[in-house]
Amino acid sequence: MRTDRVPGLALVKGMWFAFRQVLRPKVTVQYPEVLNDIAPRHRGRLILLYDEAGTLKCETCFQCAAACPIECIDMGGVDTRNRYHVHWGPAEQYAERREESAMRRSGRPVPDRTFDPFGSIDLAPLDAILAAEGYRPRRSLAILERTQEVYGHLPVAALQHVAHQTGAGYSELYGIASSYPHLRFEPPGSHVVRVCRCTQCALLGGGRVLAAFCEHLGTDVGGLSPDGAVRLETTDCHGESSGSPRVEVDGEILPRSSVEDAVRIAAALRANVPQGQAA
Amino acid sequence: MSSLSDPWKHLSTSGKIILPLVALLVLGTVALTVLWVVGIGPQVMQGLLDTAGANIGILRFLAAATGVLLFTVPAAFVIIFMELKIIAFMNLRIGPNRIGPWGTLSSTIHGLKVLAKEDYTPSGVDVPVFTLAPAVVYLAAVLTLLVIPFGPGMLGYEMELGLLYFFAVGGLGVIGLMMAGWSSFNKYSLLGGLRAAAAIISYELPLILGVMGVVLLAGTLNLGTIVENQSGWFLNWYAFQQPLALIIFFIAATAEASRTPFDFTEADSEIVAGFATEYSGMRFGFFFFAEYVNVFILSALTVTLFLGGWNGLFDIDPLLEAVGIATPVSLSLDIASLGPWLMAIPVLVLPILVMGLTALVWMVKSSWGFLVSLIVGFVLANLLIVGALSIWALFSFDALMGITWFLGKSFALVALFVLMRATFPRVRMDQLMGFAWKWMMPAALLNIFVTAGAILIVKELAG
Repeated sequence: MRTDRVPGLALVKGMWFAFRQVLRPKVTVQYPEVLNDIAPRHRGRLILLYDEAGTLKCETCFQCAAACPIECIDMGGVDTRNRYHVHWGPAEQYAERREESAMRRSGRPVPDRTFDPFGSIDLAPLDAILAAEGYRPRRSLAILERTQEVYGHLPVAALQHVAHQTGAGYSELYGIASSYPHLRFEPPGSHVVRVCRCTQCALLGGGRVLAAFCEHLGTDVGGLSPDGAVRLETTDCHGESSGSPRVEVDGEILPRSSVEDAVRIAAALRANVPQGQAA
Repeated sequence: MSSLSDPWKHLSTSGKIILPLVALLVLGTVALTVLWVVGIGPQVMQGLLDTAGANIGILRFLAAATGVLLFTVPAAFVIIFMELKIIAFMNLRIGPNRIGPWGTLSSTIHGLKVLAKEDYTPSGVDVPVFTLAPAVVYLAAVLTLLVIPFGPGMLGYEMELGLLYFFAVGGLGVIGLMMAGWSSFNKYSLLGGLRAAAAIISYELPLILGVMGVVLLAGTLNLGTIVENQSGWFLNWYAFQQPLALIIFFIAATAEASRTPFDFTEADSEIVAGFATEYSGMRFGFFFFAEYVNVFILSALTVTLFLGGWNGLFDIDPLLEAVGIATPVSLSLDIASLGPWLMAIPVLVLPILVMGLTALVWMVKSSWGFLVSLIVGFVLANLLIVGALSIWALFSFDALMGITWFLGKSFALVALFVLMRATFPRVRMDQLMGFAWKWMMPAALLNIFVTAGAILIVKELAG
């Protein structure tokens, strides 16, 4: 006789299961009196969360980086509309910036911490603009517009300098700059080359393709070519590449790629510098 | 006036209570003394005694009703605590553990909290009905306890039609629910009351019909007699002669007490409190209490009807006689003949016992100092004496043994109710009704016919 056809047997089984739970050890931790065994320097782990659609939940608002007391959070990403690359804090300057923070905590004057991950800019015209606007945070939009007139776009270093001089938060300035469509973070017309670095693409020769791009664009990954025309970045093909490493040029995936293609594309992109962009 | 009120203001709260009590005590003593000296007191006393003697039945009923009313409060507290703790354990939680040892007083504090809350009467309600409804519900639950025998001869009111009385008075609770739902001036309360009434009345039929088999076997509605019929070993319990009736009765009792999986009167997690929506403070507390009192009462009735009532699992007297102990245990020692040596028992026995245990503790746990060992030894000696006295009392007094078995079995059944609440999901309203009318009713009727037929056959064969 099959036991699952006996009426009520499932109920009895369920009750027996519930009864056995009574005898099991309890999971409650009596928090203020009993503490979990946690390492004394444990501060939890920073994790970027993904929503159910697989998209990053991080909106790149910089609030975590701005709040971090020892400024160890290094943020980079694209804004919410997936248009501009934004960045906070260089990873290679951790030690230096920690020192800065220690100086601030000890009450000593902190040196100007304007910095520029993409190459320094001449701050003289920006200082003139700031002086003309009276260093007023309420004039942020005007300051940003005039900064863009001078530099052609809004370099991160300029935003940092404005934030430092006016007292407006970087995130506020970034919010203003990303909200208005006529303000831009990158030089107009610059090209982006992305090369996949996943294992599959590496086995297909992605490393050689990337090396060719680095050589012929004259920059390392994450940098601009010397003429400012092309940026070299990495991407992830999520296992979709077939036959050749994934290379994206201005967001378009090349049907196939090789070292020769890389040389040709690099030459073509550098030759095709748009008007008004010869920096 | 101010000369009197100034010291009064400086009294603490407890002082403000104690001082008038002391004054009343002094005044009462003086007044009684004067009355007795004058000669009026004895006459008044005699008159009172005569009146009481003439109305002993009424007095007995009042005393019994007060007794069961007082019994229900701690019983409900214990059941609420059991529910909190057992369900917590089943969820791998610790449960209440702050108030009292292991949180045992938390349900009592809940009760006091409910007592202290504002008792709000919404505008538009039918005030007399609204006020009476909780009392009706609670009294219907409490009054049924009158006929439940807690031990041999320990029942509130000896009644030949005890079972009939139980169901008649227990059925009054539905009226209370309807009163609450109707008088609340709230259509959701009314719907809740109707829903509760529908469910409870539907299950009252299988409940009563299921019991009929036991009544046929016992040939009486007197609960005490029904229990006596089950005396002896546990195989004499009606549970083994009426298993179907026991199952029907238990399921119907679950619905009758509005417990999971049939808790439609107040499906905590799904709907507002049903008929009790507009109630607050202690009036809601009465509904809440009545629910738990009902759980105890239905467990007690199940034990009374099917599980031997106050009879133990085993008939222990023949076993004891086989070993050579006659019950009730009588001390062969004639205490009166001891004379002054009676004083020696507390003076000599207790210190010797305490010192012996202290020495034992010290030997086992030498790291403890003498004082700690002495304290532990004293506590152990007391526990030993109390334990020995309890065991002697248990085996000497049938009533004590009976009430222990009865309460033990009843609370085991209550624990089963709690276990069910922790395990089962709630059934749907139509499933609830369909189960009552399509399965329980026919099964109960079948049980009656089969039992009656079996009794007839046995009678034919015997006679």
